[in-house]
Amino acid sequence: MKFGIFYELSVPRPFSRANEWLTYHNALEQCRVADELGFDHVWAVEHHFLEEYSHCPAPEVFLTAVAAQTRRIRVGHGAVVCVPEMNNPIRVAERAAALDIISNGRLELGTARSSTWTELGGFCADPDDTKKTWDEFCRVIPQMWTDDDFGWEGARFEMPARNVIPKPFQEPHPPMWVTVTTPGTELDAAERGLGCLGVSAAPFAEQERRTKEYYRRVANCDPVGSFVNDQVHTLNFLYCHEDYRQAAALGLPMVGAFSMSNAHLYFTREAYPTRAYQTLGNAGAALRSRGTPNGSAPADDPSAAKGLPEGVGIGDPDHLVRTIRKWEDVGVTGINFLLNAMEMIPQEQVLDSLRLFATEVIPQFRTPDERAARVQAPTTVPDVGASGTPVPSTMPAGAGR
Amino acid sequence: MISGTASVDELAAGAPEIAAFGTESVRLCGVTGLSLVAELRRPAREAVLPPGLHPIVPPAMSLLAWDVSESPWGAFSAAFVRVVCRSGARARTFCVGAAASTHDAVAGLRSQFGFPTRQAEISLRRHYDEVDLRVSAEDDDGGSHGGGEGGSAGSNGRSNRLMLALSALDPDPLSVGDLQHVGSMNLAHTPLGLRLVQVETHHEPSRVERLAARIDAFDAAAWGQPLLDPYWVVSCSVSLEDIEIPASRFVCDPALPAAEGTERVQ
Repeated sequence: MKFGIFYELSVPRPFSRANEWLTYHNALEQCRVADELGFDHVWAVEHHFLEEYSHCPAPEVFLTAVAAQTRRIRVGHGAVVCVPEMNNPIRVAERAAALDIISNGRLELGTARSSTWTELGGFCADPDDTKKTWDEFCRVIPQMWTDDDFGWEGARFEMPARNVIPKPFQEPHPPMWVTVTTPGTELDAAERGLGCLGVSAAPFAEQERRTKEYYRRVANCDPVGSFVNDQVHTLNFLYCHEDYRQAAALGLPMVGAFSMSNAHLYFTREAYPTRAYQTLGNAGAALRSRGTPNGSAPADDPSAAKGLPEGVGIGDPDHLVRTIRKWEDVGVTGINFLLNAMEMIPQEQVLDSLRLFATEVIPQFRTPDERAARVQAPTTVPDVGASGTPVPSTMPAGAGR
Repeated sequence: MISGTASVDELAAGAPEIAAFGTESVRLCGVTGLSLVAELRRPAREAVLPPGLHPIVPPAMSLLAWDVSESPWGAFSAAFVRVVCRSGARARTFCVGAAASTHDAVAGLRSQFGFPTRQAEISLRRHYDEVDLRVSAEDDDGGSHGGGEGGSAGSNGRSNRLMLALSALDPDPLSVGDLQHVGSMNLAHTPLGLRLVQVETHHEPSRVERLAARIDAFDAAAWGQPLLDPYWVVSCSVSLEDIEIPASRFVCDPALPAAEGTERVQ
């Protein structure tokens, strides 16, 4: 089981330069602490114009700072919106490769297509086309990373042959993912050999059904990249406290506020009738239904006895260990946690929660060898040999699976 | 989370009266429906909604028009101007103005469902590759209004005020499930007091098409909300469908968030 932290960079109202600064810098501090504590990933989304919910339109900038301030944690650029009005695929490949170099080979690249009219409309993008452009981006980016002479004549993107440089540090290229908000996208991920980066937390039973089908399909996939990334990560919230009542008192309002801010986005399906968006893509709906005690857990769920919602990472360490075991049982290989929303939880308490989780929970999911490796792992810096050719001394855990 | 800032007292001034909550649904058959979404300028975002509702970003308006062949109120046409919003976490619209072509439809929409409806001439016409909608009403305060061209003399000699004109071209077929309908919150005086009446229509479309639309005239004041300025058309669709308007089951206090102010009426 891998553990990550996940950033939307939601900012409290009233908006001010100071509030945005604080949100960014608190997040950077959390990343530094998470790195020291042995978390595996930090992910940052790309969203535009989503006031309050996400002030993170330039994740590559945020993640470059993370890379420069950390040593081990992998940086998840996720997800890049694969819509040409927002990102040219050449620029995505270039920026990602540069970030992989800066981070010494710690990049993971997520792909997405945006689900809100707020974003697509703001860039005058055609909602009918986003699934097609996403598919094309997923196919061309890994080729740009590995071919010295790459050209393309596709349906929605074309370029004459060029050598897209720099190449990423990881060989053959960083792992690629798809964000999965709407049911069915996990199948798109599987068929392309892409990791499933869940950003909408489904209940255990639904996650198990989707995960099983994902693994069945990915085993026979035609990968768009040079290798198959068959990992399934899910999104959750984290607030860990020795007393589960205190965890609930502080954590559940954060869940509710985040989910409510998500529900207030203007989803494409609501604004623009199209075949391309069959559901709202509303991550908040699933999260919201689980963020309140009265939408709570079935009797066999570890949350039930404590009146906590099913499967949510809010509680004491014992509770979280049992909850994560259930996620592990349904085939999830990683959980990425939102640590805060609109800075509702004071920074010191967010950091205390991270430390407690890392001390009491994460070790339960590591083998003795993994624990030892983490302590001893050197910073991944290339050795420059006598020929002047850099050779990576150690590839980070999980790279190039 | 932002909330509406409109004065509930001012909004209440023109609100319809529901003397008793109905228990029967109303079925509209053989409906040609038009649905248009347009973005509004930012000053309208909070100012047009009561405190119990939440605006979206960007602010947007939903315009509906129906040409109904059969209903308990007979054949009629109607048009509704609604601001897209949220009630709690749920997608809703706040109906700021409505018009219907017959007295019975006006009375039914007002007294059963709280739509703030006035009588108007409504023409929703479907051509081979074009749809046009025109709404005009007898001028009720003397006549010198904006709203573009199109004022005209009615049969009684009084001037007609053009409330809305739009045209839409090049229908592109969609699946009937591709069109999402969002319920209305209608401010009305009810037996429980001034309330937002939740009206969720059920649609059974047999045909849905998307078109490219242009608003030629929109007289915001005539619809009861001068701040509305639909400057950027997002989408437009036409449909053939039957519509059921079920009896309302929930109302909300317009001054309170939905979580605190929602009441079940049946």
